Amino acid sequence: MLDNLKALRERLGNLGLRPHREEEIIRELSEHMADHAAVLEAHGMARDIAAQQALNSISDWPDLRKEIVAAESEEPIMNYRTKVLWLPALVALTLSNVLLALMQIFGPPTQFHWVGGDQGMGPYYVFVVPWLISQSVVGAVAAYWSRRAGGALRHQLLAALAPAIGILGLFLLILPWAMIVDKHVSHNLKLSSFLVLTVSWVLLPAIPLLIGAAPFVRKPLAQS
Amino acid sequence: MIGIDTKIKRGSGELAILALLDQERLHGYEISKRIAQQTGGVLQFNLASLYPLLYRMEKRGWVTGKWEEAQSGRKRRYYHLTPKGKKQLAPLREEWARFFEALRRVAGVAHAG
Repeated sequence: MLDNLKALRERLGNLGLRPHREEEIIRELSEHMADHAAVLEAHGMARDIAAQQALNSISDWPDLRKEIVAAESEEPIMNYRTKVLWLPALVALTLSNVLLALMQIFGPPTQFHWVGGDQGMGPYYVFVVPWLISQSVVGAVAAYWSRRAGGALRHQLLAALAPAIGILGLFLLILPWAMIVDKHVSHNLKLSSFLVLTVSWVLLPAIPLLIGAAPFVRKPLAQS
Repeated sequence: MIGIDTKIKRGSGELAILALLDQERLHGYEISKRIAQQTGGVLQFNLASLYPLLYRMEKRGWVTGKWEEAQSGRKRRYYHLTPKGKKQLAPLREEWARFFEALRRVAGVAHAG
């Protein structure tokens, strides 16, 4: 019995597309061939011959390959990465910051915990507890959005973690710069303070972001 | 370079596919069968001509393909018309009507019916 999937893979070769898209195309073409063969079979042709004839109906495989690749390379209005990563990441980042602002204004007071318990001295952890809890929703929204758009697992995770990555980027880029040019930023900011801030604003939020994303992070919907 | 016949075939195929999907979701094989049936075999799309066209239309956001279960129980990739594709349908119809009207005037090409 002719294996359509195998025969198509052999004839089309590597299309150079995203693996799941390539797999999807091969599967779709294989289903078409199975339908074609079934019609031939219904007209009295033996199964194997019908399957072979359906395959032989494609006279120019390199041309088909070229046409598929050209069609898939046509630049969509919104490119793949924007759709599966940048857009959900931006939404997550915005949502996270809006929630933070709202909770700092309307929520319970922000909790500060000085390292070593020496209040007012040295580095301190900051906990905006309702905001931390809300990050699970943000992570879920971003991961689901990315997955719906056909994002791979890494896109879904990166989109979900965008608020934490964004703050880390801010710390790594803006803070050193601000220390140079902004007289209001303390010049004796110590590495320990920087690490503690990173724990408060990057590592801690990353946990609920990932927890929220977990039920939604899986193979893209387009693949299933 | 794309020849005129290829352009005409592609353009007419796009219109035919959009019009069919405006009525119901169809998978690729059904689309090619319906086009052949409804045009009396004048327009025929085989695997090699149909799928690149469908993939282009999908890239443009006119149609969207989803794996769904067919009546046979097999999973098939059904194409659905998107709101963007629906918007595209009326101007394409007008464009082709103008094209045939122009051909009628210049070459006496008349409706067969």
